[in-house]
Amino acid sequence: MKPAPFEYSVAATVEEALGLLGEDSRPLAGGQSLVPLLNFRLARPERLVDLNRLHELDYLRQDGERLRMGALTRQATVERSPLVAARWPLLAEAVRLVGHPAIRSRGTVGGSVAHADPTAELPLTFVALDARFHLRSPTAARTVEARDMFLGPLTTVLGADELLVEVELPPLPEGAGTGFAEFARTHGDFAVAGAAAVAAPAGRAAVAVLGADSIPLRCEEAERALGQEAPAPEVGELAAQLADGAHRRALLAELVRRAVERARS
Amino acid sequence: MTTEAKGGRVTGRPLARREDARILDGRSRYLDDIELPGLAHLAFVRSPDAHARVSEIRVPEDSPGLIAVLTGRDLEGRARPLPIQAPEGAEAADEPHPVLAGEVVRYAGEPVAAVVAESRALAEDAAELVEVDLEPLDPVVEPSRSQVELVRWHGEGGDVDGAFAAADEIVTGAYSLPRLAAVPMETRGAVASYDSAGDLLTIWCSAQDTHRQLKQLAAVLGRAPESIRVVIPDVGGAFGSKGSLAPEAAVAAVAAMVLSRPVKWAEDRLENFVAAYQGRGMRADVELALTSGGRMLALRAKVVADLGAYLLPTTAIPPHTTAMLMTGCYDIPAARVELWGMRTNKVPTGPYRGAGRPEAAYFVESLVDDAARRLGLDPVELRRRNLVSSFPHPSPLGWTYDSGDYRRCLELALELAGPKPDPEAGRVAGRGVSMYVERAGGQFESARAKLERDGSVTILSSTSPHGQGHETTFAQIAAERLQIDPARVKLSFGDSALSPPGIGTFASRSVAMGGSAVALAADGLAGRCRETAAELLEAAADDLSWDERGLHGADGRSLSLAELAAVAPELESDARFESDLVFSSGAYAALVEIEQTTGRLHVSRVAAVDDAGTIVNPLLAEGQVLGGIAQGLGECLVEEMIYDEEGQPTSASFADYSLLTAAEMPPVAAAFVETPTPLNPLGAKGIGEGGAIGTPAAVGNAVADALGGRRLDPPFTGEKLWQAMQESGPR
Repeated sequence: MKPAPFEYSVAATVEEALGLLGEDSRPLAGGQSLVPLLNFRLARPERLVDLNRLHELDYLRQDGERLRMGALTRQATVERSPLVAARWPLLAEAVRLVGHPAIRSRGTVGGSVAHADPTAELPLTFVALDARFHLRSPTAARTVEARDMFLGPLTTVLGADELLVEVELPPLPEGAGTGFAEFARTHGDFAVAGAAAVAAPAGRAAVAVLGADSIPLRCEEAERALGQEAPAPEVGELAAQLADGAHRRALLAELVRRAVERARS
Repeated sequence: MTTEAKGGRVTGRPLARREDARILDGRSRYLDDIELPGLAHLAFVRSPDAHARVSEIRVPEDSPGLIAVLTGRDLEGRARPLPIQAPEGAEAADEPHPVLAGEVVRYAGEPVAAVVAESRALAEDAAELVEVDLEPLDPVVEPSRSQVELVRWHGEGGDVDGAFAAADEIVTGAYSLPRLAAVPMETRGAVASYDSAGDLLTIWCSAQDTHRQLKQLAAVLGRAPESIRVVIPDVGGAFGSKGSLAPEAAVAAVAAMVLSRPVKWAEDRLENFVAAYQGRGMRADVELALTSGGRMLALRAKVVADLGAYLLPTTAIPPHTTAMLMTGCYDIPAARVELWGMRTNKVPTGPYRGAGRPEAAYFVESLVDDAARRLGLDPVELRRRNLVSSFPHPSPLGWTYDSGDYRRCLELALELAGPKPDPEAGRVAGRGVSMYVERAGGQFESARAKLERDGSVTILSSTSPHGQGHETTFAQIAAERLQIDPARVKLSFGDSALSPPGIGTFASRSVAMGGSAVALAADGLAGRCRETAAELLEAAADDLSWDERGLHGADGRSLSLAELAAVAPELESDARFESDLVFSSGAYAALVEIEQTTGRLHVSRVAAVDDAGTIVNPLLAEGQVLGGIAQGLGECLVEEMIYDEEGQPTSASFADYSLLTAAEMPPVAAAFVETPTPLNPLGAKGIGEGGAIGTPAAVGNAVADALGGRRLDPPFTGEKLWQAMQESGPR
């Protein structure tokens, strides 16, 4: 379990990092997912571009009504942020379920998104919250909606020369409640299934699930039902239709029910 | 909570582990901390297939840092396969584990070639360049489909057929426990160094003891034991999985001798999952003959063990222990047990905490609950009517239980567990109890006690720790006998050049066997001190009084131990202690709830009552109980080694093989019943495995209770329980 040989570069600026990225390079952020893949020799990049000195990407701040998080912001920073707890409680609830404290003190917000593990809590949360991801390449910058970001297991729209630099969250609707629920074998283990819900007045609602597909999914029928004040179990049943397998459907129905009940309480 | 404390001045007291400060400060020295000048590193090329013929191995001409590549052919004349240890009365096939594969590989992960390089990373790079041509053969994954018996054993006592013919009720059941990985925090490893001038091979092993490593290595290498020195550094856990010599450690030894360089093999986690021997993997079909009044008359069982590809030295031991314990703690006059140990294309099995005892307890206790359900009896009442109550008790299968108070353990466990609670909304609740009897001790151990110049005492013990706390408990045993502060007792172990002869640390035997040897050595030293002091004080030895300050004559003259050592510097005493097996026992109870919507199992409380005889240190004993319960619960909730139909392990990393965390640990109420064994001077039996033995059976019975009698086997995953509830509907 030693990685195959690779070149190692430390980027001092985003521009420098972008100049080093390419087909055979992989950016290294917190390393909590990439390093195990390297050690299993499942990932064999020719070059690692270490982003950990890019302090310019380590920030979490309010910008008007929006939250802006640099991609290198540690999950532990999000977990301890009073701002996140007060204004984006769904994110505060979800981030606590990412691995264990040691993992969260190294793991980054951007790394979790770019790695796109199908069982990861943060991509699910960002899809539920209509986050926007800011990407940069050596020649251009673009913004991708959360629900357009993920293509499959460990696959996103990020190009080989692109870097995720910022996650932007819109404010929750006025009077919104949120809830997160997941089913994992043990505390801190990968989730088998999970659900995030946002319920707000005037029919504004979001329901997203993990475990139904290899990417986090928004459940439009369930959202419509949630917006129309349907009972929580009914919302759960609608969301569960997205999944295959009887137990998985049962899990999703229950987790969405719990998330909706939390959001409404 | 200790009932009937039988403590002395020092023994029986909850002294904190004195080894902890060193370990927590990071001052301990594990295998991978060992650095020697010129150290080379080993990595292995392992079979990717579960079963294949090896047609050709091509080794790279060159690779950065590459020193050598060794294959099975290079070991011819240098290393023999590992020796097989067959239990008494068992037939074991001559199918030992080769040190490196020969013409056929028989499990995914089997070592095929060894690569020695300047660093482990470079060795792994070079290992990728070794090309192994394999012609696939059909793998056998399920023991029920295997045609090859590796171990056969048959045991019988009493009139089994007569009892079954006369029975009012015959209850049958089939139960199984999955294969488990031991996953010690520190993986296996060895550092070998060869001194050609003195023809001495020194090997540091992350292992449970020096004795078995030395004996097996001598057999593999064909060397005299005197020409091998085994040193056990600090060991970060083993749970049975480091009892036998690792084939890879033997390769490290050969490589060091061939290359005239010290060689390190520090196993990584992936290797540990695919190549360290696993535990459990047993199934039993059991029948119990009873009277309508609930008296057990006879038991018949067929036990099938998934032994894997080869017989490692101890592979045959756990299933034999299971078979021998199939009458549990019940007074069943007749029993017949057939054991089939089958070859499969998986890594071999071997001892893992409990090593056959959890299987026996699970099979017997599940059957007893099922029998109670059939007879319409309370399962506790059925147990009460059949417990062994007089000792020594010869079981029909041939072991003699030395001591115990099974009834008292049961009643205390029930009291500590409390009644089955009303479940939360949306859940069903269950309560389960289980009893167990455990073989511990046996064979021999030895010790030397030495009076040092400063009046302190050094104990050389033949058993060495890998997490048990010998430094604390053995110091307590010696201090009690020598009337000194335990801090004045220094322990020495884990080096075959210094250690007195013994067998090793396994089967909950260290205190009963090694501790008894320490007690006898300390007694011997006390006698010598008394005789010598008597001469110096011009008194009769029996007239001397002895306290913490030293020895005192009737005339007021005194000698401290330091003063005695100054004039008599050679005072020491050797002791060897030998005994038959001793039998610990206990009763466990578990309360569980199951979520109806998800199937998730919540274990809400465990009550643990263990009778390990006289307890030397209740704090450490309780630690053993809690650790065993954690592993037993892991087995119930999440742990299982899974192989696909090609024999590929699909749970070979922590991403897939889940371990329990502190968050899943329920409240545990632990208590001891202390029925001393008459077989050793301490009255001690064994406590290392009780939690791992009692817990799965108790939780299994609680789950069956919650499911209205529906019987499932561990691990009790959400999906499995949910599916069962869909089929039968919640009560």
